[in-house]
Amino acid sequence: MKKSKLVGILLFLMTVSMLVHTSAATMNVVVITDPTGQDPNGAAAGSQSWAENMFQSTFILSKEKHFTVLSGGEGNETPRLAAVMEAINNLENGGTAQSAAQLANGFSGIRVMTGGPTIGAAVGGYFMAYVIIVSDNGTITITPYSGGIAVLPPGTKGAIIHLRNTPGNPQYGTADAVRLQTAEMMGQMIRDGYPATDVVAAAFKNVAINAGEKHGGGAVNLVSGITTGDMFTPTELNTTGFSMDQPYSKISDTGWSVAFPEAANYQTSPIDGSNLTTVYAYQALRNAITVDANTTSVAVYGTDAPGVASTTQEIVQASVDKHGFSGTQIAKDINSAISSGLLVGVNNVEASDINVNQNQKAVGVYFKALPDDRTSPPWNLPISSSVLNLLGNMQTAIGLILVILVLFRSTLISSFLKK
Amino acid sequence: MFIKVRRDTLIILLLAFLLIFSGRVMTYMSYASSTTSDQGVAISGVIVKGNDIVPLDSIRNSLANVGFRSGSYIQGDTLVTSKRQVPLNEAIANAKTAVTQTTIPGTQLTPIVAADVEVDNSTGIVTVNVIEDFSNIHINGLNGTY
Repeated sequence: MKKSKLVGILLFLMTVSMLVHTSAATMNVVVITDPTGQDPNGAAAGSQSWAENMFQSTFILSKEKHFTVLSGGEGNETPRLAAVMEAINNLENGGTAQSAAQLANGFSGIRVMTGGPTIGAAVGGYFMAYVIIVSDNGTITITPYSGGIAVLPPGTKGAIIHLRNTPGNPQYGTADAVRLQTAEMMGQMIRDGYPATDVVAAAFKNVAINAGEKHGGGAVNLVSGITTGDMFTPTELNTTGFSMDQPYSKISDTGWSVAFPEAANYQTSPIDGSNLTTVYAYQALRNAITVDANTTSVAVYGTDAPGVASTTQEIVQASVDKHGFSGTQIAKDINSAISSGLLVGVNNVEASDINVNQNQKAVGVYFKALPDDRTSPPWNLPISSSVLNLLGNMQTAIGLILVILVLFRSTLISSFLKK
Repeated sequence: MFIKVRRDTLIILLLAFLLIFSGRVMTYMSYASSTTSDQGVAISGVIVKGNDIVPLDSIRNSLANVGFRSGSYIQGDTLVTSKRQVPLNEAIANAKTAVTQTTIPGTQLTPIVAADVEVDNSTGIVTVNVIEDFSNIHINGLNGTY
């Protein structure tokens, strides 16, 4: 009786704590290093937290209209969603970062941070933030704001960082110091000309290590429209995401890589024995959202088979580096990869299946998947396959008959002789 | 020798072996050079257009859940999946519903208001066009729309 009462009370307390534990604190950061929107890495943003439920809804990205809406990880909490929706709706209809973030003040206890390369950045509602403005002559201005609205005006280089500690975080109480330290570091990096994606990754690292608000979350590249997606987000409701200060994968000099926890078992690459470098989550985040100047973006259509897209990306990249943007050369290189078994499960491509856009450094490859789980394309033989099939079966049958004849040779001959 | 084997027996056995071997090689060659499949057209890929804020992976997952996933194939007017067989037009209708119910990860918000699903019967490529609208979203527990 007593025990069941205790369990009941415990259950009640758990329910209450789950209901109360929605005011999660979070790191939200927006960095703009190129307000003209020309640099493909010129604007980036991201969210992480000690708290649970840092799903993609906490770092929403619009690929077409180039804006982001950041918020805290409060699961399905209703007012936050309403505020986020209002902000998205405002930005979709041509609003600025300020007008969208302002809407968060209409809800109690909600924070929304918005930003885009040309619309500036802003945070509204309940927050503790620093606005960092870097002028063209290199002066860094850092201004603290708490609550209401804080704005990084359109056309200026700079950043906004919001950071508070989540209750239960073992590093509770470090937020104020780390917020200022990170703001100073970000200001210096922006002044020194680092791209926004590098600055965001550095902020993730500093906050994850020093303030413990480290669970992904994720980050977005606002100009190129790239998001880390579910790389670091939790897999289930009411769990935390990947710790951004932990090792994420190991990669060899030649490009082979393996993710943790399996990576702990590998000291050298099993393919060529070369050394492995450990990639931490904040480095993986930087690599995921940074666009390399000479990278070709490759889109693969027609097959979802695992590995085909990434292998095609490498083949096309190598082909473009060697021969430039030539559809026939790319088709030739892809076909040689198919015949050497590097790409399996797809048919040979023709030059017309390759869509090249040299200005945007983009290549689209339209594959045709092979039927019946086949791995390589059909052979081109001069004899039709049905004739071959018939001949083959006949030969097999004759061969088997011969074997039987030999086995029962004496019996058969004697039975013939008797007649 | 334990077993006494005459030389002509050996020769006949060798001949038989050669015949069977080359016969098997020929049937394999016929398989490898054939282009048609008796299994219908496999679902080879999904192309999604028009999505902005809803992630591509979420929409692909929705389609995979209604049968448009690798391993499924189209036989005539039927979509054959690992679980069941559905008429193709019914599968397309299901896919439209599933795509419009795709959420922003971590929420119950469904910003896709309309979806058009087309299946190419000869290549097995599924093309999805979606329209997102954030001006008229209903949130559970709140009055009105946002």
